[in-house]
Amino acid sequence: MRYALFLGCMIPQRIPSVELAARKVFEKLGVNAPELQGYSCCPDSVVARLLDKKMWLTLAARNLSLAEEQGADLLVLCNGCYETLVEAREILKRDPQAAKEVGEILAKAGRKYTGKARVRHVVEVLYEDVGVEKIKEELVKPLKLKLAVHPGCHMFRESDGGDIWRKPKQFEDLVRATGAEVVSSKLDKICCGFPMMQVNEEASLKQTLLPKLAGYQQLGVDGIVVSCPACNIQFETGQVLLRKYGARYNIPCLHLMELLAVAFGFSADELALNVHRSPVPQLLQKVG
Amino acid sequence: MKAELIEGIKEKVGAGVLKTEIQKRRANITVEPAALRKAVEALLEHRPRFVIIAAVDAGMDIDLLYHFDVGGRLVIVRTTVAKEASEIDTIVDLVPAADWAEKEAAELFGVYFRAHPQPGHLVLPKDWPSDKPPLMGPFKRALPEQFCPVAESLVSTGMTAPMSPLMQRKREEAGLPSAPPASSANEASLGEVQKAMKGAEFDKKAGYDWKKGKLRHT
Repeated sequence: MRYALFLGCMIPQRIPSVELAARKVFEKLGVNAPELQGYSCCPDSVVARLLDKKMWLTLAARNLSLAEEQGADLLVLCNGCYETLVEAREILKRDPQAAKEVGEILAKAGRKYTGKARVRHVVEVLYEDVGVEKIKEELVKPLKLKLAVHPGCHMFRESDGGDIWRKPKQFEDLVRATGAEVVSSKLDKICCGFPMMQVNEEASLKQTLLPKLAGYQQLGVDGIVVSCPACNIQFETGQVLLRKYGARYNIPCLHLMELLAVAFGFSADELALNVHRSPVPQLLQKVG
Repeated sequence: MKAELIEGIKEKVGAGVLKTEIQKRRANITVEPAALRKAVEALLEHRPRFVIIAAVDAGMDIDLLYHFDVGGRLVIVRTTVAKEASEIDTIVDLVPAADWAEKEAAELFGVYFRAHPQPGHLVLPKDWPSDKPPLMGPFKRALPEQFCPVAESLVSTGMTAPMSPLMQRKREEAGLPSAPPASSANEASLGEVQKAMKGAEFDKKAGYDWKKGKLRHT
């Protein structure tokens, strides 16, 4: 099966270790996913969409048309990109006026959107197309870690009345496949606070991030696993910023692709995990 | 009659006409500032009565709405000048009745009418400072200020933020290409993205200056 890998903005620009890990994991698992060429920001499902819906929809349609050109489905590593691209595809399917407007703009840019390419989150591709058993076969070192799993808001998006817990449950099973213990917190479903950071930093940190961190600390987790670079950045920079409010936390936070790469035997150096702002390399010392 | 009139103006003015709209009681013709005189000249062939110039503070720009009455129906020629350089050619030599209207817009909104034959005071007290037009508000964007860096980066690179030199170095150290294969690293793709931005008119909404490659007033 062939996919077009959509890297988005945040992973290559803020946490390239996720990009590196994805390449290594896909190679191990035989996932054929060359990077989508010439893409733009998805654009993001909160800020860019609020800035201008027509621009948001047009750029999303252009990104989808690039995958169509390659005859591949889009594979995304970020919850925000997933939501934008899935939702834009649905709008273009259901709103003929919007589809006409976007089609006319794209035609002037020499592009055509047809709606053929599907959008797949990396979690569903790994769980449904690759399979947990195949992942277990590739394990080099089962991870004896106690991990919190933060699915992130946009992972709960489903089209056509699907089960909103499908991907979050798959995500947990993928983490368990590495040998790690998944610890549940009653605040798992709460937003990390990243979008709110754009308008009210203090409320974002104190009202959403802090209770989650306190809960994880109480549960004694070794780390937090996410499937979204925005959540990852929020957990990491948020812990640094919370110090000015007197809250000290230092919990490692990493992306699912990095966790899998570690379980497949790649070292912290091979994965460039030092780009993280939380003690992710130290987490690997626990793994041994 | 109105549709023919609009088509006639479009034909004479060409690409300077940006948009036309025909309503029951009036027609709007939006033109580039540089095409204003051509549009008025074309309209004069229909022997209109000049009504007024309405100036409107549109936040980043001043909208100028030239109202004409053609056979009892309103035809409005609209154009926009940037607040940073609010200048436009006079039409007083073509339409002498526009004299006071231009003077009023000049005094109240600070618009400079190039080649006006007799610029001067009209409505404000004589000692009113000429650099403080009372009806022109401060430069105000359509987008919230805190999102301007994102808007600027989206138009100029297609990405939410430009790639920092530090991250380029870190990527290279990690064995990755210095930049991902995105629109920001490919001229043809960026061209497509920017055409899409123009098509969606996001560049106008954000106040993007294509010559400077950044948002206006930054």
